[in-house]
Amino acid sequence: MPKSPRPRARFSFSPTVRALFLAAAACGATLPALAATEHEDVDRLMQAGKLDEAMTKAEAFLKDKPRDPQMRFLKGVIQLDTGKRAEAIAAFTQLTQDAPELPEPFNNLAVIYASQNQFDKARNALESAIRTNPSYATAQENLGDVYARLASQAYSKALQLDQNNTAVQPKLAVIRTLFTAPPAAGGSKGSTLVASATTTPAPAPAAKPAPAPAPTPVAKAPAPAPVPAPAPVAKAPPAPAPAPAAAPVAPPVKVAAAPAPVAKTPEPAPAPAPAAAPAASTAEIESVVRGWAAAWAGQDMDRYLAAYGSDFVPAGGQSRKAWEEDRRARIVGKSSISVNLENLAIKVDGQTATAKFRQVYRADNLNIASRKTLELQRSGNQWHIRKESVGG
Amino acid sequence: MAASALLLATPGAALAANNNSTSSKTAKAGSAKSAKAGGSRASAKEARASKAGSGASKTQLQAKGKRSAVADSQGAARPARKSARTAAPLQEANGAEARLIAVYELFGRGKSREALAKAQTLVRDHPNFQLAQLVYGDLLAAQVPPSNAMPDTAGIARLRGNPAMVELHEESRRRLQALRERPPAGTVPSQFLTLSTRSRFAIAVDASRSRLYLFENSDKGMKLVADYYISVGKSGTDKAVEGDARTPLGVYYITSSLDPRSLKDFYGAGALPINYPNPYDVRRGKTGSGIWLHGTPPQQFARAPLASDGCVVMANPDLKQLLRKVQIGATPVVTARSLQWISQPQAEKEEKKFADSITAWKDARASGNEAQLKKFYLPDFQRASRKPVDANSVLRDELTYAQGKRVQIKDVSYLHWRDTEDTMVATFGEVFEGEKNGRTRRQYWLRQAGEWKLFHEEILG
Repeated sequence: MPKSPRPRARFSFSPTVRALFLAAAACGATLPALAATEHEDVDRLMQAGKLDEAMTKAEAFLKDKPRDPQMRFLKGVIQLDTGKRAEAIAAFTQLTQDAPELPEPFNNLAVIYASQNQFDKARNALESAIRTNPSYATAQENLGDVYARLASQAYSKALQLDQNNTAVQPKLAVIRTLFTAPPAAGGSKGSTLVASATTTPAPAPAAKPAPAPAPTPVAKAPAPAPVPAPAPVAKAPPAPAPAPAAAPVAPPVKVAAAPAPVAKTPEPAPAPAPAAAPAASTAEIESVVRGWAAAWAGQDMDRYLAAYGSDFVPAGGQSRKAWEEDRRARIVGKSSISVNLENLAIKVDGQTATAKFRQVYRADNLNIASRKTLELQRSGNQWHIRKESVGG
Repeated sequence: MAASALLLATPGAALAANNNSTSSKTAKAGSAKSAKAGGSRASAKEARASKAGSGASKTQLQAKGKRSAVADSQGAARPARKSARTAAPLQEANGAEARLIAVYELFGRGKSREALAKAQTLVRDHPNFQLAQLVYGDLLAAQVPPSNAMPDTAGIARLRGNPAMVELHEESRRRLQALRERPPAGTVPSQFLTLSTRSRFAIAVDASRSRLYLFENSDKGMKLVADYYISVGKSGTDKAVEGDARTPLGVYYITSSLDPRSLKDFYGAGALPINYPNPYDVRRGKTGSGIWLHGTPPQQFARAPLASDGCVVMANPDLKQLLRKVQIGATPVVTARSLQWISQPQAEKEEKKFADSITAWKDARASGNEAQLKKFYLPDFQRASRKPVDANSVLRDELTYAQGKRVQIKDVSYLHWRDTEDTMVATFGEVFEGEKNGRTRRQYWLRQAGEWKLFHEEILG
């Protein structure tokens, strides 16, 4: 999966795993809606810091459904949060055996191993996570940190230096939620799941907002703190009259589910007409989405963040401010980012819209493709992202 | 840039061809005479001086330079591979060095995952192999996304700037150089004109490559069977005086094998003293003592190229292999700044030329003509024995000894050493007609005005 706006807090299932779950659902071993609320409750309690209550609830649930991977995972996280490392290791290890297709337990195991200075074990676990889901950004980033620590250990050994004085514990991101079950069973909407946030945002280096958006991946900047060159781009207007030329990404995009080909509908909709022609609205949404991707790729943080509405709630109870910091840390400073959108499908429903697409993200040596869903909300004559989720 | 310096790939062919290297015949093991370690002065000083390091390092494997490094190393691999067919193969593949080279080679072919896996097992097996740790660190660091803002990233940069990195990169460079520039097949160091089959092994050290070459000697000639990375004196070679931290240059013999249990940990798996200063060194007023081939302290798998106080230092697994092969008094050790390799026919030709001088000396002795025999001796000639023997009494002794009898010379070894002068160390046995045994002599010859003259002789038995 891509570096989603909250890479350390999100996850998605790979299509295979999702299919597996859906298949299970079809066979009747479904995760009932009731269970979903139970999971959410536990999750909420955890976020509120009521770990004892969360644990009680989780254990009660597991009494009935001892094999439920989601709740077992939550329980593992609670154990981790309450300092019961050995129990958390046991819980996550068991999960990796029972559900080897899930990357999250591997990731969390790695976090614990790393905290115990067992970096080789952490590396193995993270590599398993990534084998399970190659686009698993949190594990990728954690793995990068583990490699860095291992490298510095190796160098210290090469130089026969005392390693005790180098040990600042790397802070690896814990995955806190396996998944949140859909409010309604099945359906395309239901397969989009959002995880909650980690409570430890990564240390953010001083972010320098890029001055201008670049429509295409920024040219490789060898400098460690690259400032993207201001690249001319037709300002993607969030106005209802999108110029197809504003679409910053090169590959032609098939717009599914659109009644008319987007590119050919430049006709303006001058007033914020709620009942505007669907074609026009689809084009609007595409413009917003592409503008968002371009701002991301151009490391134009102002424009990137502006794509999110004031009602956008970062997952996991993270504050908007913390989320923005986190995003800056993840975006600014990459030597290059490219975000290509494929198979963009837009559905407009009055004042709201969803855009689903395949996001091909490249940054430095990461190359991640994943499905993403943006939910947008119109306010006035502008569309903003209200919710962002991976998968689906 | 830098990455290519570290990661010049060695030919896979050379690694693969690397099978028949260990001899199946094993020399009498463990003739290790337990000698008093007695802490030679030179060696004790060496222990104190083992920590060194200066300069500034740059050469690193860098994530960003990876692609070009791969290209460079592939480019470099090609000529090397070609020459590998006619050059001597590497030592056996299970050696730590061969494993390190395999890591380089995999990385050079762009297989960084495999390289990383191999490096990991290598440092697991040899955690004190500092160069392997460096390469492992480089490979790990290459996996870190540049965006990772971990404190470690800064730490890595700081570690890479450590002055001691210079030594490791020099070690890497020399190992690779020695492995790329293999001795041409069928050649021997120019010092080995001929070697008696009583010397089942012979050793040659090339200081410029930090390399020790081990030859097996049989009636079929000499064959390179293994070679190892070594360290020499921290002030280099050409030892002149006691305490100059240099490794002597010359032709020597192993004089004993010291029991590692009697040695400090610093000397590792054992020690093989050589007869520095030899008579030629003494003649030129060179001083010092306690020059050994020895192992490494436990905290180090290998030492920097220039790290000893004049000894030749090897990794313990390598030294252990050597210990099984050397013969006290019979294994020659050539230490050269840079070895010259000559074909065996060429060596034979050189040998014949010198053999004429020995024959002439023998004939003069048999003739009973003291004046004629005297021409072969320098005025300051010495024969090693308990009491000093002057040249004149040696002459008379020789004439009495030979008494016109026919003598056969056998088990001949000629070690040729040239620097500012041209010298020869000739070892042979002589048996008189009708007798079974005779003397074994080691003679030191010096060429003056085109004539070979004796300046020293040892009667070995």
